[in-house]
Amino acid sequence: MITVRSESFTYDDGVPLLSGVQLAVGAGEYVVVAGASGSGKTTLARLLAGLVGSDAGCRFRGSITLAGETVRFDGSPADPRIDRAAWSAAVAFVSQGAWGQLSMMSATVAEEIAFGPSNRGVPTEELRRSVHDVAASLRLTSLLGRDPRRLSGGQLQRTIIAAAVVQRPRVLVLDEPFHGLDEDSAAEVAAALDALRGAGTAVVVCDAMLPRSGPADARVLALAEGHPVFSGLLTEARWAGLRRYGIGTAGDPPGLPDGLGSRTGGLGSHPDDGEPTDHAGVRPQDSPTGAGAATPSPVVLTDVGFHHPTGAGESAPTSDTRSDSDTGPAGAGLSGITLTVRAGEIVAVRGPNGSGKTTLLQHLNGLHRADTGTVSVLGQQIRRQPTGTFAGDVGYLFQDTDQQLFERTVLREVAYGPLAAGVRRSEALRRAADALDVVGLGFVRELHPYELGFVQRRLVALASIIATGSTVWVLDEPTGGLDESARTGLARLLRRHARSGGAVVMATHDAAFATAVAHRTIWLDGGRLVPDDPGTDGRMDGRTVEAEPADRRRGLGWGHGRTAGEAQDSQDGRS
Amino acid sequence: MPRRRTLNPLTELLGAVLLVVLVLVVNRWEFSLAVLLLVVVPAVLVSGQPRRIGVAIVLVAGPLLLSSVLLHGLFFPEGRVVLLDLGPARVTQEGLVFAALMGLRMSVFTGVLLTTAMTLDLPDLIATMTHRGWNRKLVFIIGSALGLLPHVALRARQITRAQQARGLVVGRGPLSRLRALLMVTTPLVIGLLVDASERNHMLEARGFSSSGPRTSYLPDTDTAAQRTGRRVATVAVLLFAAAWLVIGAVA
Repeated sequence: MITVRSESFTYDDGVPLLSGVQLAVGAGEYVVVAGASGSGKTTLARLLAGLVGSDAGCRFRGSITLAGETVRFDGSPADPRIDRAAWSAAVAFVSQGAWGQLSMMSATVAEEIAFGPSNRGVPTEELRRSVHDVAASLRLTSLLGRDPRRLSGGQLQRTIIAAAVVQRPRVLVLDEPFHGLDEDSAAEVAAALDALRGAGTAVVVCDAMLPRSGPADARVLALAEGHPVFSGLLTEARWAGLRRYGIGTAGDPPGLPDGLGSRTGGLGSHPDDGEPTDHAGVRPQDSPTGAGAATPSPVVLTDVGFHHPTGAGESAPTSDTRSDSDTGPAGAGLSGITLTVRAGEIVAVRGPNGSGKTTLLQHLNGLHRADTGTVSVLGQQIRRQPTGTFAGDVGYLFQDTDQQLFERTVLREVAYGPLAAGVRRSEALRRAADALDVVGLGFVRELHPYELGFVQRRLVALASIIATGSTVWVLDEPTGGLDESARTGLARLLRRHARSGGAVVMATHDAAFATAVAHRTIWLDGGRLVPDDPGTDGRMDGRTVEAEPADRRRGLGWGHGRTAGEAQDSQDGRS
Repeated sequence: MPRRRTLNPLTELLGAVLLVVLVLVVNRWEFSLAVLLLVVVPAVLVSGQPRRIGVAIVLVAGPLLLSSVLLHGLFFPEGRVVLLDLGPARVTQEGLVFAALMGLRMSVFTGVLLTTAMTLDLPDLIATMTHRGWNRKLVFIIGSALGLLPHVALRARQITRAQQARGLVVGRGPLSRLRALLMVTTPLVIGLLVDASERNHMLEARGFSSSGPRTSYLPDTDTAAQRTGRRVATVAVLLFAAAWLVIGAVA
């Protein structure tokens, strides 16, 4: 039905991507294009979508065949231009970044879905019929009257898919459609894709990870740095050793080494350590902060209650509206939260959407102030101090990294935290450089943060926390959108931070990550702490810290795949 | 309680514009006052959101009124009856009267336009424009600009919070606030540009550049009577304005 043959694809600085890649997709097929950040999967998705030649500064040599008709490209200015309007009637494309795909002039989901056909002059009656048909097949009927700007992540993603497929295309290409979705929302989207496939639409999903489950006949094309490294059935792909290319399976634990006890470095390059931290096997309660047994627990919440102010649905300050999480009017407040996080401890916060996870996290650095009860961080009670004054003690990773980044270069970005905390400029820059080395981004110091791919931008935000030297790390969905190597690197980093006496509180939907990394998990529902979720097993409540072989000279395992190719891929804004 | 709609938003909008034109052309305080008392005040009261609209009118018209009083009340060269002599500035009766007239007119403008804008049924307006065959790009620009505003405001708030979490301390002083504003700009604008570039592809893919008339999902709430009414009203106001100006010039 559609075949892409790529001899080469280059952006303007000449690093070739997609050499010798061929992908053919037949009717009703399910194809996963898997690859780590910078592998070229987004580029391939955009080729399928006919987005070639329209992006300035790229040259494609190869051909695309759609329904028996072949378009040939030689990488010259004389290359044919694809009529996107006609192309999209056969090949629909859902790119990353849901907001950019909303027309922003539709007040309801129904109008948003109708936007494409109405541009083509489909009469109102027929328009309404096709909107209702597609909404029924994607189980969106009850949402048709809702404002698309106020949907949860899964609902928004399904709306965008519906808007893309209302023309009944034969192929649907999606770039990381599950990014930022919790399990329930991801299941909603997966069910929607199944429904489309049932109707004969071929589905191509580009993702950083292999899906945990998929249709029995699902195929995988795995890419690494622009080259195909595997092509075959999904069932075979899982055993094909793709981890060495940074391609893991969603839901697998991060690839931490099992061995304990190698204790050569700790978080040696942590700017505040001063001396090697060597606390392997130390129990969290031993408080290895170096300040003696009298050190207070870094985080103490006592009977915290909180209500979102009325109209919080509009201001929705809790987090990014494009992701899942506790946004909007549905977001719960908090009630009777008592929690102590000890030095050296990693605590995972889990619970369904809207259960108050982000709201709880934002109490730890003053973004929210408790209505009742007290919140203390490093012995200091949070009262009416400006939020910014807590940044030195509490590093906060937002769900949407891009809201955090604002400097001209990566180095300045990372140095901002220590500078704001009052560190001298030269020292701040040194710390920033060290932190970038820790996350394996030392080579992009002088680039603009927005020149980087998504995963790298996330790591920059993480590096800025490291550079600031905050004791308490508060992370909102830290693994969202990360590829295998970044996820594993993050796991190591968190463990090292804990071993050096830091404390970590992270809200996460990533069960495997929480199980592998956190010492205990607390569960929220409706803004209250609830007993352990019976549906999970293997959590490590109260378990001692495990040490991993920590070879600081090897870095944190982030070296993989970080070539100019990643910056290349990100020229599309994403990778 | 929101008012019940009887008129199409396009008719409402045109009505407001024509009213403003009339007030400008007639240029008599009696007429301005009549419009204020008989049209603007009742409209605000039945809008369903009198407080919100009232605050908006005060916020916009207040500074204008104040500057008008300061400017014309203190410095009115044609003023003869001096009420208070302050050296370089003179408070004159004529100046105060002029300031009151200007203020009244400005209040009417802000009242009429803000009430209309804040109660307009935007989706219905867009649908009407589409059904009437307006240029699709113009309709999109109007629709998406207004649709984006709340999104931009929300995003700016979120970015400020994220930056505070990074150590930005926003004080109460104007300098500190200005600095915070500048720092929000970069991520805000870049984010909007990235979205815009993605939206551009989306528009292409969804056939936005097709020729031929667009259709609308929403039914047409416009009626033939209103269309005729709009044309008649426009012509009538234009004729009246021309006649008024000519008579004024002759007299």
